Amino acid sequence: MDGFSSWFAYVGDHWSDVLTGTLEHARIVAIVVVTATVFSVILGILVERHPAARAASLSIAGIFLTIPSLAMFALFIPLVGIGNPPAEIALFLYAILPILRNTVTGLDSVSPAVVESAKGMGMGNTQQLLQIRLPLAWPIIMAGIRISTLITVGIAAIAVLVGGDGLGGFIQGGLTRLGLPNSYESVWVGTIFTVALGLVLDILLSLAQRLTTSRGLRI
Amino acid sequence: MSSEAKIRLDRVEKKYHGTSVPAVEELSLDVHEGEILVLVGPSGCGKSTTLRLINRMIEPTGGKIYLDDEDVTTVDPDKLRRRIGYVIQQIGLFPHQTIAQNIATVPRMLKWDKARIAARADELLHLAGLDPEIYRDRYPKELSGGQAQRVGVARALGADPEIMLMDEPFGAIDPITRERLQNEFLRLQAELKKTIVFVTHDIDEAIKMGDRIAILGERSVIRQLDTPERILAFPVDQFVDDFIGAGSTIKGLNFEQLSGLRLGGYPTIRSDQSPQAGLEALNESNKTWLLVVDEQNRPMRWMREGDLQQSTGSYQDEGSEVRIRLNAEDTLFDSLEQMLQSESGSCCVVDRHGALTGVVEMAHLRRAIRRAQVEARRHYEDLEDNA
Amino acid sequence: MTDQITHREMPTGTEGSEAGPPVVPREGFFAMWRRLQLGLWLAPLGILALVGVLYMYYQNLDLANAVRQTRSALQWETKLWPQMLQHVQIAFVATVVVVIVAVPLGIILTRPAFRRVGPYVVAVANSGQALPAYGLLVLFGAAMGMNRTAAMWAFVVYALLPVLRNTMVGLDQVDRSVIEAGRGMGMTRMLVLTRIELPLAVPVILAGVRVAMVLNIGMATLAFLIGGGALGVTIYSGIELNQNSVLIVGAVLVAIVALTFDWLGAVAERYLRPRGI
Repeated sequence: MDGFSSWFAYVGDHWSDVLTGTLEHARIVAIVVVTATVFSVILGILVERHPAARAASLSIAGIFLTIPSLAMFALFIPLVGIGNPPAEIALFLYAILPILRNTVTGLDSVSPAVVESAKGMGMGNTQQLLQIRLPLAWPIIMAGIRISTLITVGIAAIAVLVGGDGLGGFIQGGLTRLGLPNSYESVWVGTIFTVALGLVLDILLSLAQRLTTSRGLRI
Repeated sequence: MSSEAKIRLDRVEKKYHGTSVPAVEELSLDVHEGEILVLVGPSGCGKSTTLRLINRMIEPTGGKIYLDDEDVTTVDPDKLRRRIGYVIQQIGLFPHQTIAQNIATVPRMLKWDKARIAARADELLHLAGLDPEIYRDRYPKELSGGQAQRVGVARALGADPEIMLMDEPFGAIDPITRERLQNEFLRLQAELKKTIVFVTHDIDEAIKMGDRIAILGERSVIRQLDTPERILAFPVDQFVDDFIGAGSTIKGLNFEQLSGLRLGGYPTIRSDQSPQAGLEALNESNKTWLLVVDEQNRPMRWMREGDLQQSTGSYQDEGSEVRIRLNAEDTLFDSLEQMLQSESGSCCVVDRHGALTGVVEMAHLRRAIRRAQVEARRHYEDLEDNA
Repeated sequence: MTDQITHREMPTGTEGSEAGPPVVPREGFFAMWRRLQLGLWLAPLGILALVGVLYMYYQNLDLANAVRQTRSALQWETKLWPQMLQHVQIAFVATVVVVIVAVPLGIILTRPAFRRVGPYVVAVANSGQALPAYGLLVLFGAAMGMNRTAAMWAFVVYALLPVLRNTMVGLDQVDRSVIEAGRGMGMTRMLVLTRIELPLAVPVILAGVRVAMVLNIGMATLAFLIGGGALGVTIYSGIELNQNSVLIVGAVLVAIVALTFDWLGAVAERYLRPRGI
């Protein structure tokens, strides 16, 4: 129980630092997920009906996810220096695949009969996309966005290794002072708050998913 | 070619890339205003392709398409489609939109004002036999198959198009519901008088729905195009004959009403006449049965010679009861059905007061069939002579 | 959550089988590409090209005139090669342990007795994606000492959830009617599991193993943080020394290792799955 009480004491003493770290972390995640969503959804729409382009883009996005995070973070240092930018670029590349893949699968899953009837009533391609195909694919795209968000939250903790912000700072701070007072608590705070941030964002996104999905699509 | 053609296909052709045989070969076809023209043929003959050429869901590679004598081969296909109702077998309702929103699809694209769209949606729901109060705000997943199909038809009627294209609209529905939807649709059509092209692979549906039927062979070549009566009475070749299948003569009986028959005299006595008078009447005719009618000339009982000889003159419980009475609007098919069931092998036709107007016998049907066949053959001979 | 597709189910694109059904009606170049799985055999060429580029880069670094730390950090025999071996070792052992633990656990959790807890385990595994590997690593280091073994156990815990999840999903998606048919012919539950469920779930389990391997290669990059060595040492010294050449060599080397093992996983997935699936 000693561990718990010292943990709470630590959070109480460093409340403003914890809040700052969490907000920094959330900010990185928000920037990454928003840009990755815009990029991946547009890319997904463009490649969906072109098998070669679609396989190529999915493959490349898949390769990004295969490359270890520290290596990916480090590779952008020569280009943009240290700090948040290399972390954000690397996280952006990681976040593409889940959203891109779900966009493509989501658009695929729209019943051909629905598209046929939309076209048959005189909807142009843009109308079909905006009024029919995207709204129908939306729940699946949102699922992809949620996965990307969770991945980004988890990996963003190592941004601190390339000079970035976020909750990873608490883990690193604890590691460098390991054995000294409060070091253990610091690592716990960094870890727990990262997971908590992931959960909170996931809950928010699931609410958004519910609110933005037509009642006719709910099971 | 008549100028009243609402839709005219003029040597329309569809060839797919990399194939030498066209999917649709130089098809010319007139669809008259207000008729249901059914395209029917074996699967793979290109009937759906032909239908989809009309609203250019598939772009023709040759020929011209006219609507009201206006060449629409090159107009904006989206604008063209907004003028044409389109119903497909899988319906394709938009699952994320309410029933009312689904029905309002084309009016919304045509930028009608809100009040008019809402009123139109309610009107169409009524027309489709669905209470707007209940169904307006429901979603497609909450509908049964038959209801969804009704909404599909209502949606196609959204902006009151003059032309409807229907691709096996009742194909995915259970037989009982299908029959009901077909009847409802025919009633609706009697009111709306749309020009309809209807695709099916089911010859019985074609006979039931079509004002005219085009029987298509491979590559959508028209093997016979005529009214269902004539096609049934006179299939022009073996292909059509095979396609119609067995029972075409019986199916043909559906198209003639009893009013079209000239029914000869039939031995009859009134219930206040004596059995002796009945025997005389029976002997004068060459029939085996005699009808007893009441004071208002309503048929009551069938009597044979033996029945009359034993009769007390009251005719109660004597001979056999007249159970079935048909009207002049009933078809020969109905009468056949009843004749097969009745002991006398014939069937009474009555007016709306129930008074006897005649008795149909098997010979009448035989004569009617012969007449239809002769008429159809003469029609085709005339066509050949003129050509 | 029904249509959720995670990167962990099929993590990479070094094979071409990820695209959906072909849209073009006749077999074009692309359909032939997929049918022959040319992508699977093209990947090693790409990796080899990357090796070639790295080799040329390394040869042209002019290490003789570089600063001492750079020279020392980039020595092949004493630094890079041993680190690479450590890297593969950590990832491999962690993966073996993960498979030994997660697959039987997944089987147990999908048995009727535990069926109720299944969805919760899957939900936890989903949100476990937000777990920071960094924090987990340091916590294990603090508890077990700063060494490679501690790092390995941290990675085992980290990769456990995705593999567990894949195993459970894989077993769950086996067609119920096939199981019913097996039971109906008088097979025991055990026989149904070994003869029907497991063979049918093999592809998904293999995919899970591949994911674990790739995750562990990635995580092994962080092992240096608690004294576990591996290629992360080189990358991080590149960052600390502000020597881009060190950082690039380390990072590209890690990428090559990761892509290679991912490809091996793809090959295994293709050739170890039961015929007919």
